[in-house]
Amino acid sequence: MIHRHAFTAMGTEVELLADADDVSLLADIEAEFRRLETVLSRFRSDSELSRLNEAGAGYVGPELLEVIELALAARAASGGRFDPTVHDAVVAAGYDRSFELLVAEGAGATPERPRVGGKVAIDRAAGHVTLEHGYRLDLGGIAKGWAADRALAVLANAGPALVNAGGDLAAAGRLWPIAVGAGSGEITLGLVDGGMATSGRDRRTWVRDGEKRHHLIDPATGLPAGGDVLTVTVAAGSASEAEVLAKTLFLAGDSQRVLEEAERCGIPTVLVTSAGDVLLAGGLP
Amino acid sequence: MATRSTKKEVTVTTDHAPRLYALAGSILGFFLAWAGVAAHPWAQTSSSAASQSAAIEAYSRRLNADAALVALVSGHRKAAPSVRIVTLPPLTTTRTS
Repeated sequence: MIHRHAFTAMGTEVELLADADDVSLLADIEAEFRRLETVLSRFRSDSELSRLNEAGAGYVGPELLEVIELALAARAASGGRFDPTVHDAVVAAGYDRSFELLVAEGAGATPERPRVGGKVAIDRAAGHVTLEHGYRLDLGGIAKGWAADRALAVLANAGPALVNAGGDLAAAGRLWPIAVGAGSGEITLGLVDGGMATSGRDRRTWVRDGEKRHHLIDPATGLPAGGDVLTVTVAAGSASEAEVLAKTLFLAGDSQRVLEEAERCGIPTVLVTSAGDVLLAGGLP
Repeated sequence: MATRSTKKEVTVTTDHAPRLYALAGSILGFFLAWAGVAAHPWAQTSSSAASQSAAIEAYSRRLNADAALVALVSGHRKAAPSVRIVTLPPLTTTRTS
């Protein structure tokens, strides 16, 4: 029997599925998600990340250090397409508070000058992080993927399990059918072991200065990305890896480039265009 | 004796002249060939394809750069995921996070 446990944490809905008799871990996982929110959220002024962003430098705990290193490794590997220093560009686009508040209150009218590509110096032995002056970190998606991977590692000890942190999924132990929103229809992917994530501009959108904005910033411009891609869903070895690949592919620009890169690198991908066309690549038939 | 001696000198002179001319001709021919090769006479015939070749090379460089970009990301993959399209009822949903 599959047990389901859902709650809200890290600014999104989290869902735990466990195909096991002992589900006592589910409550512990929820508590751990809530604790990680106090470490990694940029929307909580008292979080460890917010304190680092405010001070520009400081000693951080091992979890924040690990996620920052993961994000910086992804930036290096993606040639800068994935960039955790887009914080101010996201804020400049209008995403300056939790999405629930943004929808309720509306975006402000005074955009700031977007800045991306800031330097981050890490002294791992000392646990000290220094941000380049004027830059702050946004670990949003990769933090959720990392938390999902971490939760799965615990849950999977009790049996087949799946962790869904607002669309960033980590699964193990059996085939898990997962729906992918695909234009007017829906595709179901069966994931056995690994991760899945979706990046897109179909959600987390708002209007600023009369223009529709979204949260996916193109580091090349510091502005919300353009192109004809609506969503990119990717399967990978883990949720955090899928998150990075989905965002990296989304920021490739137009749908043709996304498909070429996914095909060339063998990344299982479901792409939905603005026109509602559904395109598959990377080994999916 | 004197006649015999003169005849011998003429014979010697006659033997060296062709060799000198042949040597001079060889050197001249060598330099003419050198000049011919150095002028790259075949370059004119391939210049029409030079622009196409440059364009192909630039396109190839862009493709390689694109490939390297995502290959670097995918190189960090812990394991290839096992995933396929199924017709089972979904248990959960992935969406823009």
